[in-house]
Amino acid sequence: MKARKVKGLDPDGTLADNAQRVVAARIDELYDFVPAVLDPSRVKKLHNMRIAAKRLRYVLEVTSAACFGPYALTATKRVRELQDLLGEIHDCDIQLPRVQQIRAELSEDAVAELGRRASGAADLDPALASGLPHSEAWAGLAALEHYLAVRRGLLYDRFTTVWQDIERSAMRARLEYAIAERPSLAVSDDEMTPIS
Amino acid sequence: MAKARPIPGLSGEMRYSDAATATIAVRSDELFEHAAGVLDVTQIEAVHAMRVATRRLRSVLEFYEPCLDHEQLEPILDQVCDLADVLGQRRDPDVELEALASFAAAASEAERPGIERFIDRTSEQQQQANAELAQMLGQIEADDLRGRLAALIAPPPVVEPVAEPAAAPGEEQSASAAGGEQPVPSAVEAAAPPAKSGWLRRR
Repeated sequence: MKARKVKGLDPDGTLADNAQRVVAARIDELYDFVPAVLDPSRVKKLHNMRIAAKRLRYVLEVTSAACFGPYALTATKRVRELQDLLGEIHDCDIQLPRVQQIRAELSEDAVAELGRRASGAADLDPALASGLPHSEAWAGLAALEHYLAVRRGLLYDRFTTVWQDIERSAMRARLEYAIAERPSLAVSDDEMTPIS
Repeated sequence: MAKARPIPGLSGEMRYSDAATATIAVRSDELFEHAAGVLDVTQIEAVHAMRVATRRLRSVLEFYEPCLDHEQLEPILDQVCDLADVLGQRRDPDVELEALASFAAAASEAERPGIERFIDRTSEQQQQANAELAQMLGQIEADDLRGRLAALIAPPPVVEPVAEPAAAPGEEQSASAAGGEQPVPSAVEAAAPPAKSGWLRRR
């Protein structure tokens, strides 16, 4: 997902004024994924929201202490929390099809072997289905698949809770206010420790 | 995860283009500092730290893009993005293998063979991704990514004015002043960078 171009940036202007424009655009990008991501099946949208959160987080990480009002630092932490959670959901969305793929491959092997055993028979003898290849792997792969599916559901529930909290706390409005503020006092280097 | 290093002297009131120089220099150093040990698959935090440093660098290159020379920036940004992708491909199996080890430890005997099969598949991916990462690290070294990043934010060389040699009596009127040949550029002028230097745009 490409970041949106931000218009009106001026290399000779102040860092704070330019950063304000960029952060405002990145906030818009993040919020554009709502309400689509409130549907748990929108895997791609959830992934893109994670990228949007990452972009917002890293710009805030560099600029929030030096350029903006104090809430920008709080928002940086919230956005990071959101990004991490969306990252964990994405990990499940990647792993689950991979486990299913291995199961499909092993199943194909087993079916082919059973076909060979039954070759020429008028009907299939149940005894032939015993001891097929990879049967020892089924239990573990099934357990892993179920684990990933259920964990993904739990993480998604957590995401909706975190998002509700973000909305209730009016993060967007407060962050937009904060990026229009300027630190009233000069900040020393020591105080400008960014969020990890 | 490694904390982002503070940018010395960064303030909201400074010029955007000056902030670009200060920020990119720090984020560039961070990237190369985290390169040590990334090919050791037993030290998975090294890859994570370098990946985060790559993302941070990419983010600031994009953020300061209006201050930078596009022709120089684009290939740098492409290479940083490629590096981020390759680090991501290594990081994914790293994380997965760690989680699978915990899952296998909690599984029953009957479930272990299947989990081990998935672990084997993931380990193959990790090895393949590590080979790609080794190749990419060799490439950024060969392409001198670090040097190009430094050039992207390097100030233009200061051109010292060259003192005219004292004219000998009777030679006040030069050939050019007399409407003859064009003046020959001094050695310093000849060594000066072309108009499209590595310095920040509109500087």
